[in-house]
Amino acid sequence: MSDTAVTADARAARRAAFRAGVRECLPMMPPYIPFGLVCGVASVQAGLGEWGALALAAFAFAGSAQAVLTQFLISGAPLLVAVLSGLVVNLRMAVYSAAIAPRLAGASRGQRILWAAFLVDQTFMFDEVRHQRGEHRDAAFSFYLGTATVLWPWWLLMNGIGAFVGAQLPASWQLEFTIPLSFVALVVPLLKARPQAMAAVVGGVAGVALFALPLKLGLIAACLIGTLAGLATDALLARREWRRSQAGDAS
Amino acid sequence: MSVDSLGSVNGWIAIVLLAVGTFIIRFSFIGLLAGKTLPPRFARMMQLAVPAIFAGLVLPLIVIGSHGFALDERWPHVIAAIVTGLVAAWRGGMFLPVVAGMAVLHGILALVA
Repeated sequence: MSDTAVTADARAARRAAFRAGVRECLPMMPPYIPFGLVCGVASVQAGLGEWGALALAAFAFAGSAQAVLTQFLISGAPLLVAVLSGLVVNLRMAVYSAAIAPRLAGASRGQRILWAAFLVDQTFMFDEVRHQRGEHRDAAFSFYLGTATVLWPWWLLMNGIGAFVGAQLPASWQLEFTIPLSFVALVVPLLKARPQAMAAVVGGVAGVALFALPLKLGLIAACLIGTLAGLATDALLARREWRRSQAGDAS
Repeated sequence: MSVDSLGSVNGWIAIVLLAVGTFIIRFSFIGLLAGKTLPPRFARMMQLAVPAIFAGLVLPLIVIGSHGFALDERWPHVIAAIVTGLVAAWRGGMFLPVVAGMAVLHGILALVA
C-alpha cells in the first residue's frame, strides 16, 4: 500500500519537476532568437545547405561551435581545422560533464546518454543551481528533460528559420555581425576574474596577430597562447598571495 | 578552398564530425570515464581556454575588414562591440546586448552615409 503511495508521490514530484524545468526555461527563449537565426544563415553561407543547417543544429546542438565551424568554412579553412576549432570551443562541456557525473550515481545508461545529449551551458547552469540549492536528485532528470523539451526544439526552429528564410535577408543588415556580438556578450561576464581577463586579452591580440597564419590555425594558436597567459597569471597571483602571507607572518 | 567548392559530401562530413566529437566530449565523464575525475590542472586550463578562444575568434571578426586589419574601415563595428560588452557587463544575457550593439552599428552607418 505505502509503496504505491510513495511511487505515486515520486511520480507527481517528477511531473512537477518537469513542468518547473519547462517554466524556468521560458525566459531563455528570446536570447536564442538572434543567435539561432544567425547560425542558420551562416550554415547556408558555409555551403552546408538548408537541411545540413538543421542537422547541424539538431545533432551538434551547440551554437558557439556551430558558429565557429561555419565561420571557418566560409573563410576557406580546411575542413578538419574548422571541425577542430569547433570542438575546442566545446571542450568546456567536458568540465560540465565532469561536474555532473558524480550526481548521476543511480542513472541508467539511457539516462546518461540523454544527460550528455542535451548538455549545454543553460541546461548545465540550471542543474548546477538546483544542485547547489540542495534539491533532491530524484526529480533532477525530469527537470532536465523539461529544460531540454523547450530549448532543443526552439533551437532547431530558430536555425531552420535562419536557414530557410534568413539567408534571403538583405546583406546590408549585416546580420552576420551578431555572431561576434553574441560572443562578446557570452565572454564579458567571464572576465571579472583576472586570469580569465588576461587569457581573453592575450588570446584576442594573438587572434588578430596570427589571423593570416596558414590553414586558419591562428585561432587554435591564439587559444593556446591565451590559456598559457591565464595559467601564468594564476601563478603570479598565487606567488603574490604567498608573499603577502609570508610578510603577514613576519610582522 | 572557396565556399562553392565545399561539396555537399564535405559539408555532411563536417556536420557528422562536429556532432560526434561534441557528443563524445559531453558523454566523456558522464558515461565513458564514469567514476574518474578531471585532473584539476586540466579543468583549470579548460576554464581559461574559453575566454581565450572566444576573444581570439571575436577580435579578428570585429577589426579585420575585407583587406586585413583596418580600423579606419571597421571603427563602427568596434564601437558596436564595445557597446555590446558594456550592456552585457551591466545587464548580462544575450538578447539586449546584441540588439544594442546592432542598433549602434546601424545608427553609425546611417549617420556616416
